[in-house]
Amino acid sequence: MSKKEITVLTDVALITCIVQRGLADDIIRAAQDAGAQGATVYYARGSGVRERLGALGLAIEVEKEVINIIVATDQIDHVFEKMHVTGKLDTPGMGFMYVTPLEKAATYIPHEIVMKLSR
Amino acid sequence: MVDVNKIRFGALVREISVQQRQISFNSLVPVIEQDACGNSLPWQPGKLRVRPVDVYRILEPYVKVRLLEQIKAVLPLAAYLVLFQLFILRQNVTDSWLITAGLFSVIVGLMFFMEGLKIGFMPLGETIGTVLPQKSRLPVVLMLVFLLGISVTFAEPAIGALKNAGSTVNVEKAPYLYAMLNDWSGIFVLIVGIGVGLAAVLGTLRFIYGWSLKPFIYLGLLPTIALTIYIMGDPELSKILGLAWDCGAITTGPVTVPLVMSLGIGIAAAAGKGHSSLSGFGIVTLASMFPIAGAQVLALYMAQTTTPEAIIEGATAAGLAVDSAFWYKETPWVEIILGIRAIVPLVVFLLFIMLYVLHEKIKNPRVMAYGILLCVLGMIMFNLGLSYGLARLGGQSGGLVPAAFTNIDMVTGSPLYAYLLGIFIALAFSWLLGFGATLAEPALNALGMTVENLTNGAFKKSVLMYAVSFGVACGIAVGVLKIIYAIPIGYLLVPGYAMAVILTALSSEEFVNIAWDGAGVTTGPVTVPLVLAMGLGFGDAVGAVEGFGILTMASIGPIITVLSTGLWIRWKIRRRHEEEEEPLEQTEAAVP
Repeated sequence: MSKKEITVLTDVALITCIVQRGLADDIIRAAQDAGAQGATVYYARGSGVRERLGALGLAIEVEKEVINIIVATDQIDHVFEKMHVTGKLDTPGMGFMYVTPLEKAATYIPHEIVMKLSR
Repeated sequence: MVDVNKIRFGALVREISVQQRQISFNSLVPVIEQDACGNSLPWQPGKLRVRPVDVYRILEPYVKVRLLEQIKAVLPLAAYLVLFQLFILRQNVTDSWLITAGLFSVIVGLMFFMEGLKIGFMPLGETIGTVLPQKSRLPVVLMLVFLLGISVTFAEPAIGALKNAGSTVNVEKAPYLYAMLNDWSGIFVLIVGIGVGLAAVLGTLRFIYGWSLKPFIYLGLLPTIALTIYIMGDPELSKILGLAWDCGAITTGPVTVPLVMSLGIGIAAAAGKGHSSLSGFGIVTLASMFPIAGAQVLALYMAQTTTPEAIIEGATAAGLAVDSAFWYKETPWVEIILGIRAIVPLVVFLLFIMLYVLHEKIKNPRVMAYGILLCVLGMIMFNLGLSYGLARLGGQSGGLVPAAFTNIDMVTGSPLYAYLLGIFIALAFSWLLGFGATLAEPALNALGMTVENLTNGAFKKSVLMYAVSFGVACGIAVGVLKIIYAIPIGYLLVPGYAMAVILTALSSEEFVNIAWDGAGVTTGPVTVPLVLAMGLGFGDAVGAVEGFGILTMASIGPIITVLSTGLWIRWKIRRRHEEEEEPLEQTEAAVP
C-alpha cells in the first residue's frame, strides 16, 4: 500500500453573512479586499425583523443570499468588520452575520507553498 | 515558548480595528411566561420601534435601486433626443420645463408601477397559476386564461400611449384611422385584448403539449398577411395597416408578458410537462400576431358599418362641442380615470378567480392592497408624464428632424443640409435611436442571459444583444424611410415576413423561439411611446397621412437578424466540427 499524503489547514474559521438578495456581491468584494480568499453564496428565504417593522418591512426583500467565507483565524476581525460595515448590518432588517470556529479544512494549496511551510 | 517581543497578527488587527462592544445574546431574548399549569405561553414579538435615521437607512437603498433602474431606461434616450435637437438641428427644446417634469413623472411612475406589479400582482398570478389547474378542468382554465389576456391588455401602459396618439391623427386625411383611435378606441383595445387572450390560450396549450412554434408562425402569419394584402386594395382602409401592425409590438409589455407567463408556467408544471426552458417562449410571438389580425378584421367591419364621410362629420361635430368640455375630460382627471380604468378590471378579475373560483384565501391582503395602490398611482403618474414628457419630446424631435432635408415652417433656414445629406442625417438619427434604446433595455439583457444558458454558450449574450439592437435599428430606419417616401407598408411587410418565414424554416426550433420573441420582449414601456410619438411627429412634419408602422419594422428587423445570426453560428460550429474530424479520420485511416 502506497502512502498518500493530504494537506489540511488548521486555524480556520467560517464567517457566514445573511443579506438581502442582490447585496452579496458588494460584501464579497469588501471581504476580498480585506484578504478573504473566496466566497460561496446560496439563496435562501428568511424572516425575523422584517415582520416586526410593519409597513417599512415592505422595503426589505424576503429572499436572501447567504455568504460563506472561510478565513484564517488571524483575519477574522478584519474581514468581519469590513463585511459588517459594507453590509450596513447595524440597520434593522439588513441581515445577520456570525463566525464559526472550524477544526480543519482542505483545498488546493500551491505545491511550492506546501513545500516551504511544511518543512 | 512565546517570544515576548512578538504578538500574534490577529491580536494586532484586533487592537487597531474598530472597537467591538460585547453584549450577551442571553440578555436580549425574551422571558417565556408560563400559565397556571406550567405550560409555556407562546411569545408574541412586539413591533420594532425604529429611529428616523433607520427609516432613512432602510428606504434609501430600496428607493435608489428602483429609481436608478428607471432612470437608466429613460434618461439616455431623452438626452440623445435633446442633444441631437440642440447640436445637429440647432433648435431649442420648447417647453423644456414641462418636458423635464414629464420625464421625471414617467420615471417615478414606472418605478411605482413596477414595484406595485411585483408585490401586488405577481403573487396573485403565481398562486392562481399553481392552484387553478389543480382545482379546475382544462376548458375552465383556458377560458380564464383567455379572459386574463383581455384584462391584462387594458392594464398595459403602452396602450395608453396609443390612445394618446389618436388625438394627433388628421380626421380628413385618414378617417378610419381616426375613428379607430377615438370613437372606436374601446372596441379597438378590446379586440387587441381578444387577440392577446387567444394567444395566451394557444400558448398555454403549447406549454402543456410541447408543440413546435413553427406551424403556429406559418398559420398565424398566413391570414394576417392575406388580410393585409386584401386591405391594401382599399385606399381608405390601407391607412390603418400601420396601426394594426404596430399594436403587435405594443401589446407585449411589462404587464402582459410576466403575468401570462407565470400562469402558463404554473399550468405546465401542474400538467407535469413544460420543463424544457424553451417552452416559456412563444406566447409573446403569438400575442403580437393575433392582435394584428384582430385590428384588421375590426377595420373591415368598420368599413361595412360606417363611411368615411360620416366619421368626418362626427369628428367635426365633436370638435365644435369641445368647448363645453366636462371636468373629467380635462387633463389631470383624464389621466387619473385612465389609470384607474386600466388597473381596476384586472384586480377585480384576479380577485374574483381567487375568491369565487378557487376559494383561496389571500395571504397578505394589506401588502397586496398596497401593491395595487402603487400600481394605480404609478399608472396615473406614467400617463401624466407620457402626455407631458415622452410624447411631447418624441413628437417635437420627430417633427424637427425632417428639417434636415426639407422645408419646415417652424425652423428658419430649413432645409438645414443638402437633400441627400439631410436624409442621411435623419436615417442615422433614427438608426442610432433604435440601436441605443434597444441596447439599454433591461429586458434584452435578461433575454441574452437566458439564451446564453439555453444554447450552452454557443449564442453569446453580447452577440444576441447586438443582433437584436442591429435589427431594431435597421427596422426603425426603414420605417422612417417608409414615412418620408410614403411607401405602402405592405410592400415592406410582405417581403420582410417572407424572408423571416424562409429563415424560420431553415432554423432549428430554439433559434426560432428566441428570434420571434426577441423583438416583442425588447420593446419596453419607454421605447414604444417615444418611437410612436417620434413617428407621428415625423409623419406630421413631412405631410404623411399617418406615422405608424415604425414599430412594425422594428419588430421584423430583429427576427431576421437573429435568425441569420443563429444560422451563421450553426454553420460555424459545423465547420469547426468538420475540421476537427478530418485529421482524426486521416490518422485512423493510416493506422491499420
